[in-house]
Amino acid sequence: MATRIGDVLRALPSRLRIDGAAKQSIEVARHRLVVAGVLFVIAFLIVGLRLVDVTLLKEAREPRFAHAPRAGHLEMGRADIVDRNGVLLATSLATASLYANPKLVLGPAEAARKLARVLPGLDEREIAARLASDRSFVWLRRNLPPRQQYEVNRLGIPGLYFQREERRVYPHGPLAAHIVGFTDIDNRGIAGIEQSFDEKLRESGEPLDLSIDIRIQHIVREELGRTVEEFKALGGAAIMLDVATGEVLAMVSWPDFDPNAPALAPADARFNRNTLGIYEMGSTFKIFTAAMALDYGTATLRDGYDATKSIQIGRFTISDFHAQRRYLTVPEIFIYSSNIGAVKMALDIGTQRQRDFLARVGLLKASPIELPEVGPPLVPQPWREVNTMTIAFGHGLSVSPIQLAAASAATINGGVMRPATILKRQMGEPIPGERVMSAVASEQMRRLMRLNVERGSGKSAAVPGYLVGGKTGTAEKIVDGRYKKAARISSFVGAFPMNKPRYIVLAILDEPQGTKTTFGFATGSWVAAPVVGRVIARAAPMLGIEPVDEEAPDLRDQMLINVAKR
Amino acid sequence: MALHSSLSAPRRGMSIFDKLRQTTWGLVALVTLVSSVGFAMLYSAAGGSFDPWASRQMIRFFVGLGLMLGVAVVDLRFFFRIAYPFYFVALVLLTAVDVAGAIGMGAQRWLDLGVIQIQPSELMKLSVVLVLARYFHRLGPEDVGNPVKLIWPIFLVLVPAALVVKQPDLGSAIIIGLTGAIIFFLAGVRLWKFIVVGAGGAAVVPIAWGFLREYQKNRVLTFLNPENDPLGSGYHIIQSKIALGSGGIWGKGFLQGTQSHLQFLPEKQTDFIFTMLSEELGFVGGLALIGIYSLILLYGVGIAVRSRSQFGRLVAVGILGGFFVYAFVNMAMVMGLLPVVGVPLPLVSYGGTAMMTLLMGFGLLINVYIHRDVHIGRSGAGEDG
Repeated sequence: MATRIGDVLRALPSRLRIDGAAKQSIEVARHRLVVAGVLFVIAFLIVGLRLVDVTLLKEAREPRFAHAPRAGHLEMGRADIVDRNGVLLATSLATASLYANPKLVLGPAEAARKLARVLPGLDEREIAARLASDRSFVWLRRNLPPRQQYEVNRLGIPGLYFQREERRVYPHGPLAAHIVGFTDIDNRGIAGIEQSFDEKLRESGEPLDLSIDIRIQHIVREELGRTVEEFKALGGAAIMLDVATGEVLAMVSWPDFDPNAPALAPADARFNRNTLGIYEMGSTFKIFTAAMALDYGTATLRDGYDATKSIQIGRFTISDFHAQRRYLTVPEIFIYSSNIGAVKMALDIGTQRQRDFLARVGLLKASPIELPEVGPPLVPQPWREVNTMTIAFGHGLSVSPIQLAAASAATINGGVMRPATILKRQMGEPIPGERVMSAVASEQMRRLMRLNVERGSGKSAAVPGYLVGGKTGTAEKIVDGRYKKAARISSFVGAFPMNKPRYIVLAILDEPQGTKTTFGFATGSWVAAPVVGRVIARAAPMLGIEPVDEEAPDLRDQMLINVAKR
Repeated sequence: MALHSSLSAPRRGMSIFDKLRQTTWGLVALVTLVSSVGFAMLYSAAGGSFDPWASRQMIRFFVGLGLMLGVAVVDLRFFFRIAYPFYFVALVLLTAVDVAGAIGMGAQRWLDLGVIQIQPSELMKLSVVLVLARYFHRLGPEDVGNPVKLIWPIFLVLVPAALVVKQPDLGSAIIIGLTGAIIFFLAGVRLWKFIVVGAGGAAVVPIAWGFLREYQKNRVLTFLNPENDPLGSGYHIIQSKIALGSGGIWGKGFLQGTQSHLQFLPEKQTDFIFTMLSEELGFVGGLALIGIYSLILLYGVGIAVRSRSQFGRLVAVGILGGFFVYAFVNMAMVMGLLPVVGVPLPLVSYGGTAMMTLLMGFGLLINVYIHRDVHIGRSGAGEDG
């Protein structure tokens, strides 16, 4: 080798033997070849020096701290939904969706056979057909968990790819299904909060705080579900609402569904009875009849009405379920739930004022609650005297349970209507509200509702120490255009503690059937009131409300009411 | 004297056997040595296994070796004659990749001919050398000073370079461009013209910037300050420098490179194989490889010097220039002297096409040596010296 290079270098003087143009060109070329060679050497020298620099002298440039990829922070496209205490109700998981470019898949049948082995539930024949199609994009399976993604990768089938995706996950399953809602396969909200706050959830990145307390939600769901099953009802609805803020702490519609697989649920289960369902509420409406009479001053707690005879309007007869057939004071009308008395009270109030009051407590327009599934009330048009009479005891005006809960809250919280909300009211945030009745009338309403649980139709809602108050309701359902005795909506609107009300608890059962233990009865007092009682018994300690001695003189005094006319 | 006898030896009637005897086996040995370094590093990159890289690279090398010797023994004048047809075929194929190229790694570089896949930019690297050598051979020294005569060869370089940039393959475009520049220089183009073109090029940079793909821009920006984006575009170069620094003087030992084996070093079997080599074999190993490369270049320069025909000399220099640019750009890149442009380390990095092109190039170089005394007229008609 050395001699060869030596030969080459010795050849340099041989340019002398070549003449003319060729000689000149060769001379230039050889000259420049040397220059090029020198440049090569310089370049490699630079590389060599740099090698010294990076291998031997680089300590000074080594970063003091190693850069490690930050773990634990995954950028998700859709924000979480949490309850009022930060418990996760909806979150996003990164998943991989498998798709294929069939043009690059060599053996569709073979590939499909392998895939079916690692992805259970995959229809091998259908996948083979998709892989054999002449398109260049086909979905094979969306949202694979990491384990399955690994298995598919291990198959090493060319032409298969993964698309990073997100899958919405609801850790509590059906517990808050109607509130939180769900998304479609492309992660667009199509029900509940997911739909109404779709844009915000996509853009903000901050978790959305709901007013829901998932612990209370759990209690309410358990008690309502148990009762629906026990009385073989078609379904049920229950709400717990903060009377001071309008925040919904719990809202359960039964039957419910798993938002992780909404497509499997029947439409009936996805129906939110609390907001989308509207019902004739029956006697619970006597809360409003009493409230407006006391507020307008058309009747006082000492006044009374003659309830000896039923009232005839056209072909309808209005009579009392617990008929006393005598003169009844206003508290008696309330606790015996006298339809006749309520009608007479309403007639004293008048159609216009009744309508104004009901409008003020939000019963004549759809609830402002932040859910897309909101049903507008069915308001009589025109509103005649006969409507005034029936609405007095809760027929002829259909409203949703959330409207009933929010309106009832206004009658006992001192007389301020707070719009119901499903979002947590932040600290210091002003709470919207509108005075709808006097504080004095509201204070009287507390006494009336407490009395009803102590001595009237709401006894089974009583929870010792929590001063529960409330009003029962049993409405006959309209089936095929006429009222049907055996098909009823049984309800109870409760509140506690009545000396200083904090929460409304509402339970409604759709067509409950009487059982032996209820002697065949399925009215609000037999069916719905116990639900409210049990919910309060379990939830009140959790909410930090201390039980009181209900017989303490000052409390007796606060709740004091003159029942019989002296 | 050996030199004299070789000059007077008859070339026209040389048999293939004679030509093989004339082959510079020293160069073949050096090429085999570098490639063997490659096999060893690929064996190490796979964690001490011939599969998947080393075995395939060896097969390609032996096929390429046959191809190299085949190219070496063909008459040099044949390459002179086919320079233009070869160039235009390569140009058509290059255009075809844009139109019908199969997409590999996000860049359109491969042309699928059904039976084989070819990478026209690799063919172009060889054909640009041939076509420029032929042009300047025919031009003669008296016309090299005429700027008008330089328009066509500039065109011959810029068109394929532009097509390759568009693919986008910046590394290949740089090799084509620099190979062209080296041939221009050797042909005797005056230095001030390079300065003018260089200044013009610098003026074009802001415009060309707009045509670069986002990732190419990022690479240049990252080159300027890799620590800016340690987890993104700067990752490669930072990891590479850490691995180089961890090697020290003697390295960690063959198969012992932690940075590369623990996957901290990306692309360790291709573009960053020099880093892995320096980590395992240290500064000394890296320097040894540079030494072997220098020997090959020296050999090549010697061959160019001894060629009697301008064509042969320019071909030799063009091939060497390409080889040099490969080696220099790759090593400078992994050490952070140049932006990451995706140029493999010649004969060492894993990759079949680059290996084939380089071995065919060395075939041409040996060819020039074998036919060093063949006289080629302006027209290409051959006469013996």
